[in-house]
Amino acid sequence: MQRPCPQPAARPPARGISRSGWHHGLHVLLCLGLLWLAAAGAAAQTQTVRIHAAQAVAADSLDFPAEQSAPLVDLPDAWSVSRPGSDGPVWYRLSFTAPGLHETGELLALFIEHVCTNLQVHLNGQLIHSGGRMHEPITRNCSHPQLVSLPAGLIRPGLNSLDLKVVGHPLQRVASIHRAGALSALEIGPHSVLTGKHARQVALNVAVPQAVSAMLLLLGSFMFVLGWTNRRESHLAYFGALSVGWALIESRLWLRDLPFDNAATELLLCAMLPLLTWASVQFLLRFAQYRHRWIDIALPLQAIVMPATLLLAGPERLYATASFWYMLLPLQTLAAAAFYLRTQYHERRRSFWPMALLLCMATVGLVAEYAAQMLGTHGLPMQLAQTALPVMMVLVGLRLLQQQERALPAAEDSKAHLEVRIREATAEIERNFTQLAELRVEKVTERERKRIAADLHDDLGAKLLTIVHTSDSERISSLAREALEEMRLSVRGLTGKPVQLVDALGDWRAEVVSRLGQAGIEADWSAPVEDRPQTLSARAFVQTTRILREAISNVIKHSGATHCSLSCDIADGDMHIVVRDNGNGIPMELDGRLDRGHGMASMKHRAKQLQGQCLVESGPGYGTVIRLTLPLNRATELA
Amino acid sequence: MTNILLLEDLPEIRAWLSSLVLQVFPDAQIAEAARVHDALGLVSAIKFDLALVDLGLPDGSGVDVVAALREHQPETQSVVVTIHDDDEHLFPALQAGAFGYILKEQARELIIEQLQRISQGEPPLSPSIARRVMAYFAAKSKPQPMSASSAAVPHVSLTDRETEVLLRVAKGYTLPEIGQQLTLSRHTIADYVKQIYRKLNVSSRAEAALEAQRLGLFGR
Repeated sequence: MQRPCPQPAARPPARGISRSGWHHGLHVLLCLGLLWLAAAGAAAQTQTVRIHAAQAVAADSLDFPAEQSAPLVDLPDAWSVSRPGSDGPVWYRLSFTAPGLHETGELLALFIEHVCTNLQVHLNGQLIHSGGRMHEPITRNCSHPQLVSLPAGLIRPGLNSLDLKVVGHPLQRVASIHRAGALSALEIGPHSVLTGKHARQVALNVAVPQAVSAMLLLLGSFMFVLGWTNRRESHLAYFGALSVGWALIESRLWLRDLPFDNAATELLLCAMLPLLTWASVQFLLRFAQYRHRWIDIALPLQAIVMPATLLLAGPERLYATASFWYMLLPLQTLAAAAFYLRTQYHERRRSFWPMALLLCMATVGLVAEYAAQMLGTHGLPMQLAQTALPVMMVLVGLRLLQQQERALPAAEDSKAHLEVRIREATAEIERNFTQLAELRVEKVTERERKRIAADLHDDLGAKLLTIVHTSDSERISSLAREALEEMRLSVRGLTGKPVQLVDALGDWRAEVVSRLGQAGIEADWSAPVEDRPQTLSARAFVQTTRILREAISNVIKHSGATHCSLSCDIADGDMHIVVRDNGNGIPMELDGRLDRGHGMASMKHRAKQLQGQCLVESGPGYGTVIRLTLPLNRATELA
Repeated sequence: MTNILLLEDLPEIRAWLSSLVLQVFPDAQIAEAARVHDALGLVSAIKFDLALVDLGLPDGSGVDVVAALREHQPETQSVVVTIHDDDEHLFPALQAGAFGYILKEQARELIIEQLQRISQGEPPLSPSIARRVMAYFAAKSKPQPMSASSAAVPHVSLTDRETEVLLRVAKGYTLPEIGQQLTLSRHTIADYVKQIYRKLNVSSRAEAALEAQRLGLFGR
């Protein structure tokens, strides 16, 4: 069994081992829940050595400056504490023995959890590892754990010397303490063991932020487009911008080689933050249906002012200036979140709690992130913040999409409802229009009927009337009177309204009884007394009136009767009218040419027109019976 | 009967009517007119006892003359003498205050008899006019939204007896027949009919006043 021995710089192995295990377990448990790693970590405890001190000397040389005095420093060594203002490079030297190495043949490795900004590693004077460019623009390895293989061929049986050349930036010139020059504790052990640890650390520091960034980028772009195309949902666009912006900020964790020097990169990163604040504040306000002109102006203005103050303050005061802004910007977002939650609590209680929970967790993430950036807490809170905040944003985004998705069927429902309403309204309008058109036609017809009637009365009527009252011949006078009556009936029959049967019976009775009474003939009228629902068309009423009038005229003029009975019955949908007199009957000599003067033919013709029939029974001595049968329904339909 | 107004535009008919009136009222003074305008002039100058008014005239409708007589000489009996036998012409004339109507083309003897009856206070009433009058009063008796102006108008309605008479006329019974059915004298029935005509006129005049008020002709 091999056992790396830290001499003389290393602390007692037992303590180093225990601390390594503690850290390990917590990372694994808390950050990703990859429990199986805990087992692996436990196995690794006994095989690695953690180094908590090293000789350190600042020098920009190719090798460890052995001629200079190199005091022992504790690891982790934060330059902001141990050598404020220094930008290195700083050489660190530590020694170790590797007994039993040749027996096992196992490859050894050095694990550097955190080095900022970059380093080179020499083993026994030989360069064995470089993290990248050592001069501006320096490769940014602050978030990248380093694993250095210690080649077996270079390891001596006795004491081995390991030299680390670290370059970095003083705290003043970076915006986050996490990016200030520093070297964490080191760990030496079997390559196979440390590879796993390194991989897990890389996953936590780099891969997870990468994955979350990718999700944020996708989700954010999608929501931005969604909000951009649908202006009523402008909060989605702001949330999309926030997500995309955060994804870009996250890229600082895994983009190592940027074409800019430290000052430009830090400025760029800082300039992103007011933009993110703009997006987050507007997202929350718009989501709460709130909009204010001054806020719309102030936030973009802040996005210009903030980089300007950083530029004015100069690179040497970057940290101080940025700290002020780092304090101010999250407060704006927190205030907006509080405003949003207050509004939601009053207006939309149902959807309040899920969003409140998400926002509270995001706030915790924000505070953790702030603490990590400002207080330089490595490890757990740092990683928690770097993963929790973007994960919360993804969750908020999903929640927004869910709400949007719920709103979609509702919108479709209301759209369908609207379509139905429109169809109904259209049908209603069409119906009304048709009714109006019909009404118009009726009105025009009625007007035309009245005009014709008035013309006939004024012209033809007046002339006929003059004939009636001025003719010397009783026959001509009578003919003219009949013509006048015919004219009137014709006019009324043109387009007259249907007549209630009961009204028709009343009219007929009044006329028949009155005429017979004036002629001194006893009249007997029998008809159903109760109201009948049937109606007669105007034409049927006019035609029947003419037939009756003709029949009564015959009774008065020709029969010589003293009594006349009329009966009207409704049976089987037919109307039966019987006119019976006790007169002389129709003379035999007229039998062959009944029509002349008696109008029998016209009575029969009219009955036929109404799909009915008119029978005349007569015999000398027993009077005349006229039987009129008219189908009532048919007569009603005839217009 | 001394003063009689005769409004008729056809000269032959006017002459014929004139001779007919003289047969009924031998000592009558007949003022003849052929136009509405002339008739209105006569109405403002002479007090008439009876007026025979044609409806369709060259310069307007005889209804205006009936209304003017009702307004200025309420004692005058206006009788419409017309060629029109339809409700649409007769009903407005009755509403305006006409006391009866005679169809021109009827035989001379018939017209004389009707004229005598009218002058004795027995106005004619056909079934269709009776139905129309019933429908008119039925529509009026329906509950209407009360307003300050409608409250000021006297509400006119028919009595049960008047309605009963109208109903029987509508069924085709003659006034004497109705008298027999209700065991009332012929004159009582005639009085009911007169009352119906009077109410028709009062009601329509109230309506006209209300309409005028609504149009803003009064009340300023």
